[in-house]
Amino acid sequence: MVDFDFLEPQTVAHASQLLAQYGEDARLIAGGTALILALRQRMLQPRQLISLTKIEKLRGITVDNAGTLRIGALTRHSEVGASETVRAHHPVLAGLARVLANPQVRNQGTFGGNLCYADPATDPPGCLLALEASITLESQHGERTLPIADFLVDYFTTAIEQDEILVAINVPASKANSNALYTRHLRTAAEHRPLVNFTSIVECEGPLCIDARIVTAASTITPVRCTQAESLLRGKTITPELVDAAAQLVETQISPISDSRGTDDYRRHIAGVVAQRNLRKAFGLENA
Amino acid sequence: MSKHTISITVNRQRHQMEVPARRLLADLLREDLHLTGTKRGCETGTCGACSVLLNGELVKSCLSLAVQADGCAISTVEGLANGDHLHPLQECFMQCGGLQCGYCTPGFLMAAAALLAQNPNPTEAEIRKALNGNLCRCTGYTQIVESVMRAAQRMNAN
Repeated sequence: MVDFDFLEPQTVAHASQLLAQYGEDARLIAGGTALILALRQRMLQPRQLISLTKIEKLRGITVDNAGTLRIGALTRHSEVGASETVRAHHPVLAGLARVLANPQVRNQGTFGGNLCYADPATDPPGCLLALEASITLESQHGERTLPIADFLVDYFTTAIEQDEILVAINVPASKANSNALYTRHLRTAAEHRPLVNFTSIVECEGPLCIDARIVTAASTITPVRCTQAESLLRGKTITPELVDAAAQLVETQISPISDSRGTDDYRRHIAGVVAQRNLRKAFGLENA
Repeated sequence: MSKHTISITVNRQRHQMEVPARRLLADLLREDLHLTGTKRGCETGTCGACSVLLNGELVKSCLSLAVQADGCAISTVEGLANGDHLHPLQECFMQCGGLQCGYCTPGFLMAAAALLAQNPNPTEAEIRKALNGNLCRCTGYTQIVESVMRAAQRMNAN
């Protein structure tokens, strides 16, 4: 690991100033589980690490009057998983945080850090896209809020500007009659990164699907909203055949990555299987 | 590059020390405090041999900087025993064959200690989930899980 300075600003404005001052030589550190590994492997060689842990504004889980859940960027995965507030408002997110990576990483890694690192092979981004979450970014010049779809740009790349800090993740209230389900596939039980994951948020009246938001992630560079499959399901009476056809559309809509963990063909197939299992369960067709 | 004076409590003993920013918590424990029970295994955050408790929570000390632990309380495997009396987890790992080469054992002991502190009566599935961030290449895990089960029973009986 190359030498660096460790700076601990106490406000977002100061952290932003430091980022502007040091430019590409600086990196933000939150929990550090991903960053320290990247430093140790010399994939990154910053001269300054700017720690966010003294900035109180980045902590806390709250709900506003509109029912929007705000998760401070520094909230660790274990805190998201244990939070009564998250469990009450978005149990799917709490459930996901309780299985992410492994116990050590859940105790160290943060929700904000996970999103900023933008590694596709992780749990939260796809689920947050299905939940139509937004991201609040702040710099010394002000604040802006982006839909998560606009924040996640590419492989390990986000829309964050050089002097910006991710302050919070905002998740709008879910409709009372909607149901969210997150499913993931690990190649082996010991693997900590999903090969594919799939989130569905469905709204039904009896056998009729009123609305469906579905997202596949982890095998594509960024999460993919499966709009064709959503259109197929919306307004229809749910049958096993319809669900299978929707899963088939997920498979054909995506362009998976191909790497040592899985070829594109394999990932495409698994994405279809995971979609089918998730949707069957989501629509009450079976306990997949 | 920056140096930091940090205050850290390790196994109930307080230390004030100066560390360079790049010092890993694992190295502070092993090299500076000579607590070599904590192991460095894979060097990639995968194996969990470096696991310690930070303010009671299980973390990987090879993925933590010492400066990040400023003001925190650390427990390592050296802190488990009470004088000459081994911790029930240590006793049960010996009795159930929960170790062979022993390199991963300090990490497993700390992961198990973190679990039992939160959940004194875990199921086998809960034990396996809690040990999910630790790798053992010798035992095949079955005896490790049995060791933790037996330690839980023994601690609950007392």
